[in-house]
Amino acid sequence: MILTLAWRNVWRNSRRTLINVVSIALGVWLTVTSVGLADYSYRQMIDDSARMGLGHVTIQPIDYLDAPSLKKTIAETATRQESIAAHRQTRAAATRITGQAMFASASRSIGGSFLAIDPKQESRDINIFLRSLVEGEAFTNSEVRAVLVGEVLAKNLKLSVGRKLILTAVDRHGEVVSELFRVCGIFRTGVVEIDGRMAVIPIERARQMLHYAPDEATMISVFVDDYRNADVVRDLLATVIPRDAASVLTWRQTQPELASLSDVDRGMNYLFLFLLGLLIAAGVLNTSLMSVLERRHEFGIMMAIGTRPGQLSAMILIEAASMGFVGLLAGAILCVPWAYYLIAVGLDMSSVMGEDYTAANVLIDPIWHITLYPGRMFAIAAMLFTLTLIAALYPAFTAARARPIESLRDAA
Amino acid sequence: MKHESPKTAHTSEVVVDVRACTKIYHQGEASIHAVDNVSLSVRRGEFTVLVGPSGSGKTTLLNLIGALDAPDKGTLAIEGRDLGALSRSQLALLRRDRIGFVFQAYNLIPVLSAAENTEFVLALQGQPPTKRRARALDVLKAVGLEGYQARRPNQLSGGQQQRVAIARAIAPSPAIVLADEPTANVDSETGERLLDLMEALNRNEHATFLFSTHDPRVVARAKRIITMKDGRVVADTTVPPDAHQGPPAPC
Ligand SMILES: Nc1ncnc2c1ncn2[C@@H]1O[C@H](COP(=O)(O)OP(=O)(O)O)[C@@H](O)[C@H]1O
Ligand SMILES: [Mg+2]
Repeated sequence: MILTLAWRNVWRNSRRTLINVVSIALGVWLTVTSVGLADYSYRQMIDDSARMGLGHVTIQPIDYLDAPSLKKTIAETATRQESIAAHRQTRAAATRITGQAMFASASRSIGGSFLAIDPKQESRDINIFLRSLVEGEAFTNSEVRAVLVGEVLAKNLKLSVGRKLILTAVDRHGEVVSELFRVCGIFRTGVVEIDGRMAVIPIERARQMLHYAPDEATMISVFVDDYRNADVVRDLLATVIPRDAASVLTWRQTQPELASLSDVDRGMNYLFLFLLGLLIAAGVLNTSLMSVLERRHEFGIMMAIGTRPGQLSAMILIEAASMGFVGLLAGAILCVPWAYYLIAVGLDMSSVMGEDYTAANVLIDPIWHITLYPGRMFAIAAMLFTLTLIAALYPAFTAARARPIESLRDAA
Repeated sequence: MKHESPKTAHTSEVVVDVRACTKIYHQGEASIHAVDNVSLSVRRGEFTVLVGPSGSGKTTLLNLIGALDAPDKGTLAIEGRDLGALSRSQLALLRRDRIGFVFQAYNLIPVLSAAENTEFVLALQGQPPTKRRARALDVLKAVGLEGYQARRPNQLSGGQQQRVAIARAIAPSPAIVLADEPTANVDSETGERLLDLMEALNRNEHATFLFSTHDPRVVARAKRIITMKDGRVVADTTVPPDAHQGPPAPC
């Protein structure tokens, strides 16, 4: 009976209720959009950054993070890479060597870094350089003296495909070593710092040059389908890899600035959404309180004939809950086509953002898409629903506190 | 719930017992004795009217008897239960189960149909839907609203609304129905009809009525007339059964 009563009361002042329903629905829409856009861009940034070398989870020599050096290596990379890549929780794994180098062409020399890779383990999916080749082709043999260079580096060294480059580095014994490479491809990631400093070479060639054993490297980069699983995979790998052999780190640990950028951004986003939620709750509070004050006489009658205060409170809360539920439903209906459009097509923001917009050394795609995590969507719905209920607490309390005699006299 | 003393006959059982009750309202410096040292009792089956000029304390007294308000002095008992000894929620249960209320106007819950309003108290009592609906339809029939069960209050006339209020009041078979000027907001013709109805319910359903009025035509129909003035009972007369024009009560 109380349920029926509450539901009908909600539609008594349908205009007022609809205003709240619309505000909750718009709240859902705004929240889903902004959280979806943010989640998409974080995923994009984190995945791209992982593809630049480190992966979502990195197995690297102990202390390498604090003081990177080509003298620090990990062993048994072949078997480890193979078993990690085959694991159910991972998408891919690649053995890589990275370090500082000097690049020299006939015209000049420039300092930068190199990444040595095994073409058999790599793909466009996990390697941003293979993905962003604009000229030439990638090497397929891991022993050839071939190099992929960034577009800006190529320009500064006056290199083109087929030209020669000398790479100088410090080997595992601390000796300076050099090797001649021929440019086989040029890449453009869009991030100037990367395109101006980076070169990619075959891993076996690098091992020979640096006097590494056939099984040595500076890291194994591990990729997962969902970066949020990085911690789980890290913990998993940490149990297989002896503590004194290597350290297993997530992208959060290897790229703290990217982690804090996304954390701060997410924090701002949540703050904004919380304020939005408060605004919606204020509307619900207003409606609910007004409806309670208008019904003082009615509540007086109800209490006189035996309705208990708790039942009146419950009725007010059910009224708010119904309004919240209808609002969430309307929001969901509003969001389905919109989310579908954003996932499939996306918003082209290139006119607003300009050509190459980067954050924390990662290129931001000018076409905005959204990523919707079911858990997050559920949390948004739960938060809005809870705020609606919280907003109705005071009106519910007010209704229960009323004394029948005074309420009756009030409107008589 | 029914409280029946084995010693007293059904008709002479005291339902309401007011002993030396006083209710004082303070308004600034002045204090008004709205009910001033009133003692009276109402027996089961009575059809009693409370009369007196406006401001004489009728509403205040009915509110005290209906456990909606507490006296400053004196004691009140409904079917032998001392109201002063009951908690707020016990009082709510007592009102729900043993007292029927009919107020001057706006008695009904606007979003509920006539039948739903009538069964509201039964629902609060936790009666199963089919049982309470059957009872509500019976009572609506008894108040002459057969066929009106689906109407909302705003689809009923003022007199019909009061009939629904009376139906709701008697549906749980309370010990007493308290009605505060139930005919004040309807025209005199409709008022007469409502009185006919209450009389019939008193006769046929053995419902006990105590209602206030300052309408002399209403007074003419009562079996017992309690007159109030300035918060005090100044007269309490029982009309002999043969003084009525209507058929005598079966008891
Ligand atoms: N809440 C209140 N506060 C102050 N005075 C009140 C209040 N309620 C009633 N009174 C006063 O008590 C007296 C009796 O009122 P009431 O019981 O309503 O009389 P009646 O119903 O016979 O017209 C009146 O003088 C009225 O002004
Ligand atoms: Mg009055």
